[in-house]
Amino acid sequence: MNVIETSGLGKRYGSTWVLHECTLAIPAGHVAALVGPNGAGKTTLLNLAVGLADPTAGAVTVLGGKPAGSPAALDSIAFVAQDTPLYKNLPAADMLHLTANLNRRFDQHFAEARLGELGIPLNRKAGKLSGGQQAQLALTVALARRPRLLVLDEPVAMLDPVARHDFMATVLTAAADDGVSVVLSSHVLAELERVADYLILLSRGRVQVAGEVEDLLASHRVLTGPAAEASKYAERPVVHVRRGQAQAHLLVRATVDDPVPPGWEAHPVGLEELTLAYLREPGAGALPGPARSRNTQPSEVTQ
Amino acid sequence: MTALTMPARPKRDAGLRPVPWRRMAWVTWRQHRAALGGVAAFLGAFAVYLWLTGLQMHHAEAAYCHPAGSLGCAINFTGRHGETAIIVSIALQAVPALIGAFIGAPVLARELETGTFRYAWTQGIGRLRWTVGKLVPLAVAVTAAAGAFTVLFAWYNQPWAAAGYVTPFSARVFDLLGIAFAAWTLAAFAIGALAGMLIRRVVPAIAATLAVYAGLAFATGLRLREHYITPLVTHSTSLPGSAWIISHWYTKGGRLVSQSAISQELRGYHHAPTTQVGPNTFQTVLNPVPYLTQHGYTNWTSYQPASRFWPFQWIEGGWLLALSALLIAITVWLVRRRAA
Amino acid sequence: MVIDKSNGAPGGGAGASPAGGGLYSDQHLRVSDAEREAATGRLAEHFAAGRLDQAEFDDRVGRAMSARTRADLNGLFADLPETGSPAVPELPRGGGSTPGGGPRGPGSPIEFRLDAASGVPTYLQLVQQVEHALRLGYLKPGDQLPKVRDVVASLAINPNTVLKAYKELETKGLTAGRPGQGTFIQATLSQVALPELTGLHKSLLGWLTTAEAAGLDQDGIVALFTSALRDFHERRGGTGDRRGAASAETEGVA
Repeated sequence: MNVIETSGLGKRYGSTWVLHECTLAIPAGHVAALVGPNGAGKTTLLNLAVGLADPTAGAVTVLGGKPAGSPAALDSIAFVAQDTPLYKNLPAADMLHLTANLNRRFDQHFAEARLGELGIPLNRKAGKLSGGQQAQLALTVALARRPRLLVLDEPVAMLDPVARHDFMATVLTAAADDGVSVVLSSHVLAELERVADYLILLSRGRVQVAGEVEDLLASHRVLTGPAAEASKYAERPVVHVRRGQAQAHLLVRATVDDPVPPGWEAHPVGLEELTLAYLREPGAGALPGPARSRNTQPSEVTQ
Repeated sequence: MTALTMPARPKRDAGLRPVPWRRMAWVTWRQHRAALGGVAAFLGAFAVYLWLTGLQMHHAEAAYCHPAGSLGCAINFTGRHGETAIIVSIALQAVPALIGAFIGAPVLARELETGTFRYAWTQGIGRLRWTVGKLVPLAVAVTAAAGAFTVLFAWYNQPWAAAGYVTPFSARVFDLLGIAFAAWTLAAFAIGALAGMLIRRVVPAIAATLAVYAGLAFATGLRLREHYITPLVTHSTSLPGSAWIISHWYTKGGRLVSQSAISQELRGYHHAPTTQVGPNTFQTVLNPVPYLTQHGYTNWTSYQPASRFWPFQWIEGGWLLALSALLIAITVWLVRRRAA
Repeated sequence: MVIDKSNGAPGGGAGASPAGGGLYSDQHLRVSDAEREAATGRLAEHFAAGRLDQAEFDDRVGRAMSARTRADLNGLFADLPETGSPAVPELPRGGGSTPGGGPRGPGSPIEFRLDAASGVPTYLQLVQQVEHALRLGYLKPGDQLPKVRDVVASLAINPNTVLKAYKELETKGLTAGRPGQGTFIQATLSQVALPELTGLHKSLLGWLTTAEAAGLDQDGIVALFTSALRDFHERRGGTGDRRGAASAETEGVA
């Protein structure tokens, strides 16, 4: 089952197209990271998936074909928006009660126990909690709904490192215990490799990369060798080139079984390096399925 | 390691029964109880004031104003309490606007302004039920409160009506009596709700609601109301005091005479008859009507008789109710349209 | 008298109450067979240390095996000190405190750590830490590896990563999963006998002296060794350790 499936999805605000022709199929049982620079369209894509906006073109379905925003979808998807909106003048206990009343399913015991473990007092107004506590409160009420899919929009952007760690620990434990699928957007690349096992790279409103992290890392290598020979490998699917006077690094689409040219060295790629390389090459793409990969000449970065 | 209690997932519901309405009632109450409490306190304080001053007015009217028009009435009733009554009725004109603005506008505007709609509209209940579950109970609550208040005001106003001080159609009190007050409050609420949805910011929405309401109220009082039923026309000069005089004109030979022509005609009117009304007391009454009538002018008056008070109330209440329903329907439709 | 044991001791604890007890004291909760067995193991250690005589030991083991609730088990240790390494000190409660002192159930001897900057893939770090722990004796056959959800909760990593690491260990034959219970060590790494190790150490020192005399510096030595290691594996047609070799080449000897 695909938790989010889009085909040719596009969204226009006024005369600006924020998303173009996005086609995605995010499988269930994963923690999928939606990555891209600011303004790439991540929030828009998530809003479309949870039914807060309507597509201008194309379609989006969730949880195996349910229309986004339909009652069945709302029932099983929990969304925590950017800046974790809460009713600031309501105490945490009322926030729980509110969520319980707005949904068919709410695990009150879990929510209270969780807040107790975190040391969040039930009778303090949400506005008086720290940023990390507010985020945890928003996450707790979301998870207490027992969703099948948890959607998070830049959830940790405003949090200090400890709060960030605890927040993600909660999310990932829900994935481990309950099999909740997670789709979260982020523009912090460094922590992705630890957390995500599916990557979607959104750049200027288009899906540039989409696939399992394991597959992506297994299918890319960095070849380091003489700069003079770099252009010889133009016919390989080269994503990005960095070159100095004598030495060049090519990020190529190759696996560990592909032969390394003599005189060259091959290294595996980390997720951050891979992501940055694609972000620097808007013309390159790595999408599942043969029909989608594009082999345009990469630009070269002279050091 | 933090103990993360995650008990076994309860069995997923079979069919998708919609979330019951009564759950939404608690949500609406909890989120708006401060505003509702504020309105209740405000109306309550006003009610206490009306009750206390009203008692005084009732006593004074009973004691001094039978017969009405006597000097004692003029001093002890009208003179002492008249100004208060006028100020109160003017102040009350603003109450529906305030209620509508401060209860109606924030319902949607606050969610949109603070971003909490991203929470509220992604809950299982769905945005349609959420919106209707908020707007309808609040509308009913403010309308009922206003209706109850009208009963008190009618009692408060009764001595003034009895003394002939104010007619039922008087612009000052028509929309405070009958069902008009409740209907205006409902309309203000509906305007507030729609303004909140369109403007998306609380303070500007409140301001806009007050402005639109004021415009509508003035337009109705000054221009619209008199036309609900075609006014009666007569050339009698003695109309009951309770009638609502709408306009007054002259014709000569079947044609309307302009005001300037009348003024021209009246320039020749120097010799007013002087009548003796008592020893050493002469009265000169400048009443142009008989003079003009003698000169071939016909006097016409259009008016609404007092008996039409309730029909007018129903008409005004009716169109305000229809307007409110329309505005609320538009608001709900806008919510549904998924403008994120 | 019940001693509230914050469960950080590597020997595991039967009384898994949250640090601080308080609202969530669970002394009334039922215990599992695994917890009873763990308690029996601890009693055995106390007996071996001489704190209990044979009669007391037999009696307490009997009571442990018939214990119903956590309070029952905790009562058996009321007059016994903590075994093994000192208990993890209780960490202050508060939104966002790093996990470490909370309940873990019948625990694992080891705890994972993550070096985010090392460049080594996460799952591989977990595998290497298990192998390292085996070599150093922190883990013995029969010991349980930390539960997947506990690793996820303390390190904030993807559960599939932990599953992948555990699967790799199973493929290497080092561990075996018991359904419903967890993952357990079933073998040790092939041990090299001490005389052999000494001999290898000595020949390495000789090689290093030669390399230094030839003019190689430390990094040069490491690079040379890494490339030779890779060639060695490739010549052997190395299967399982391909990735290990590949990652070794970028950051030196694992």
